[in-house]
Amino acid sequence: MNYLRPERLDALARDYAVGLMAGAARRRFETLLQQAPAAQAAVLAWQARLAPLAATVPPLQPSAQVWETLQRRLLPPPTAQPSRWSWLATLLSGRVLGGALAGVLLATVVLRQQPAWLGLEPAQETLPASYVGLLLDRDGKPALLASSRRHGRVLSVKMLQPLVVPAGQQALLWALPKDGGPAFLVGALPAPGKLGSSNINLSDSAEKLFFGVTRLGVSLEASADVAHPSGDFVLSGHCSKLW
Amino acid sequence: MNGNEELARLLARVALRDSAAFGALYRATSAHLLGLAYTMLGRRDRAEDVLQEAFINVWHGAAGYNAAIATPMTWLINIVRNKAIDKLRVGKAERAATVALDDEAMALPDEAERQPQQLLESSLQRAHIDGCMAQLAAAQRQALALAYYKGLVHTEIALALDAPLGTVKAWVRRGTDRLRSCLEQAGLSAA
Repeated sequence: MNYLRPERLDALARDYAVGLMAGAARRRFETLLQQAPAAQAAVLAWQARLAPLAATVPPLQPSAQVWETLQRRLLPPPTAQPSRWSWLATLLSGRVLGGALAGVLLATVVLRQQPAWLGLEPAQETLPASYVGLLLDRDGKPALLASSRRHGRVLSVKMLQPLVVPAGQQALLWALPKDGGPAFLVGALPAPGKLGSSNINLSDSAEKLFFGVTRLGVSLEASADVAHPSGDFVLSGHCSKLW
Repeated sequence: MNGNEELARLLARVALRDSAAFGALYRATSAHLLGLAYTMLGRRDRAEDVLQEAFINVWHGAAGYNAAIATPMTWLINIVRNKAIDKLRVGKAERAATVALDDEAMALPDEAERQPQQLLESSLQRAHIDGCMAQLAAAQRQALALAYYKGLVHTEIALALDAPLGTVKAWVRRGTDRLRSCLEQAGLSAA
């Protein structure tokens, strides 16, 4: 059946527009409508011609429940809040405060207490799924906290104590697979001598890199261009999955 | 009924998720659309289901409305008619075992004002093409009316009018062709 001969298409479009098509034929034609602009145009033309027939149908007032259901299902509901924030949600609702004041409150109260909201993340009770490693120095004291979102490509490195790196050398972070295979390089620590956080861009997602990794280590090397650690690790620790 | 310009403006805002515009659109059009669904389905509860489903489609699909190719009311009417036809077809399949199809076809709505013949005549008068359409035989007008206002398919119309299937198909075709040419003559048709 060649739908696209104009007379044939016109006849089908008319049948569809009036409502004479049923069952499989109707479904097939609806599929065609999604794909063929000519069919859409033919149907639109017939719908426009038939539209005057609807003009004198007596109106019927819908029951209130129809609108209530539509509102409930479609119109933006209040965002789900953990219970400790519900007092704040009420306070910030437009019914209670003017917009400007609510904005001020938001800036000073909410952001101070829940900085993650700046990133428009939903308020969460737990941390997002992440790889986390706490590396200790040779005395067993925490020295470096490494973390990355499970599917992220950035590793956050926080120096808990400064790491002394001799001039001309680099501090490199290595990952050690569970199965005892060779360590692979994650990256050079950007600022090992300073307390605080910096980032290493990962060559792939954390999941791909760290899934089979159980330990992390930091070694001091002459350059960042080495295939494996030359000596012992100055810092090391477990690599854990936080989810 | 609100002007189509105002409805088009509201639809454009609904596409942007404007709840107030959605409410205004509902208030402006829902009674007319429910009346149409009720005429086709004969039951308020089923008609209200259709109205609700239609407005869910409106909320999600308003961005797809193109004012250049359809008036807002035509767009809305066709969402409602399509859903009503869906519901009619499902309902009939379910009831076919217990109710003879011609009884279903002849079932009259409570109000005389919702009789298909009546609705066709009044709408043609409203569109000022009643004279032109009067040239159509009564059987042809009746077939068109049953198809449009009751959503009957050819076989059901044939049962309702006690006429052969082929004849009914020809009647509906002539009815719609006549409608097209009368509208073109009156300068009312876009195509």
